[in-house]
Amino acid sequence: MQRIIVFLSIFLFQYSVAQELFLVTDPASNVPANSLGVNVLQSLFKETIKDGYNYHLMPEATYGLNRNLMFRASAFVSNRGKDLITEGGSFFAKYRFFSSDDLNSHFRLAAFGRYSFNNADIHQEQIDIMGHNTGFETGIVATKLIKKLAISSTVSFEKALDNQPNYPFPKELGNHATNYTLSFGKLIHPKTYTSFKQTNINFMVEFVGQTINENGKSFLDAVPVIQFIFNSQARVDLGYRQELLSSMQRSAPNGLYFNLYYTFFDLKSGKNVE
Amino acid sequence: MKTIHLQYYILITLFSLFFSSSYAQISKAEIRATGLTCSMCSNAINKQLKSMPEVSAVTTDLNTNTFTVVLKAGNTLTPSAFKEKVEQAGFFIGSLVLTVSTESISQKPYIQVKPIAKNNKQVQIKVLDKGYVTEKEFKKVGKTYQNLPSLQKLNESDFHIIALN
Repeated sequence: MQRIIVFLSIFLFQYSVAQELFLVTDPASNVPANSLGVNVLQSLFKETIKDGYNYHLMPEATYGLNRNLMFRASAFVSNRGKDLITEGGSFFAKYRFFSSDDLNSHFRLAAFGRYSFNNADIHQEQIDIMGHNTGFETGIVATKLIKKLAISSTVSFEKALDNQPNYPFPKELGNHATNYTLSFGKLIHPKTYTSFKQTNINFMVEFVGQTINENGKSFLDAVPVIQFIFNSQARVDLGYRQELLSSMQRSAPNGLYFNLYYTFFDLKSGKNVE
Repeated sequence: MKTIHLQYYILITLFSLFFSSSYAQISKAEIRATGLTCSMCSNAINKQLKSMPEVSAVTTDLNTNTFTVVLKAGNTLTPSAFKEKVEQAGFFIGSLVLTVSTESISQKPYIQVKPIAKNNKQVQIKVLDKGYVTEKEFKKVGKTYQNLPSLQKLNESDFHIIALN
């Protein structure tokens, strides 16, 4: 797996491709130590099998324990039933184990793991422990920042378990997959910084793919994202996910993301920081 | 009575002299951070620095990621305090320039790689140790000062410095 990462990284460096606060993937960098990030991700995806839209609401809290280790807890709420129901939750940890920083650039590597539980019905071949399946995921992420451009790539292993208590994972489907992502982010505004109050705008394109290991069924999606950062502390992301290729059955592959994010810096210090 | 007072004053003077020179009264630190270009990242460092009780003000140049930290008088900070804060924000120091009293840097934990003239009361010094300059620059520094094995030791108990003015 590391070989793939090294290969991908070398491949990526050929491009001069800033910003790595991605919407659907995580960079190798963590949130600052002692800081708390709180966000609410909403998504509205068009159903392909039945009529209507699949709405998901995902509140999350991310905490930086120290410079290298961060934790996140997420909750999954959806309208798969008639009403909005909390279907599950997730715990995530990421450890940054390598950093090589220079002025205005860095290369970083991190390892991560996630465990999720979900009680919803299993209705697609795609494995998605972020709101659909119970299961775990573990992987490595590499991120390169060159001035105003960030490139990040992830390779991970994801395994689905039974959605307790009522929905065991269907025997006829492959229950583990390899995921790969490639994300580009660029700071497009401002050209020159004047203050922390200035609104920043980032444009991102993320590619997200999955192959079910057992049968080779795959998909590849593209997610363009426009991101606004206010007061160097709050974030608003607006994204659209579009399936590019797929050989598997998916219930709602295309739709919109809307994410609100706020950072509480430096929780431990008693000093009042403006 | 007078003589007692005099002795008392001499004692206090000696005492305060001893203490003021036992640490390097840093009055200002200019930190250039590496590994970032976004204002949210700079803000993380800004907030970390402002959380230090010894800090009275921080100004930031977002385009060069340079943080100018004004410190309260009588602080006992050493360079490692700034490194700690920048790294907690998730970044690294690319350059650290301190304004210190000339008196105070002639002893531990400071090692002058070139003797620093004592013409002025205050002097600007640059820290050359690993973690206080960029990786590239540290390689260069290592070659220039091959005769200083202590420079290659990774510790926070001594700081190799050079004068800038």
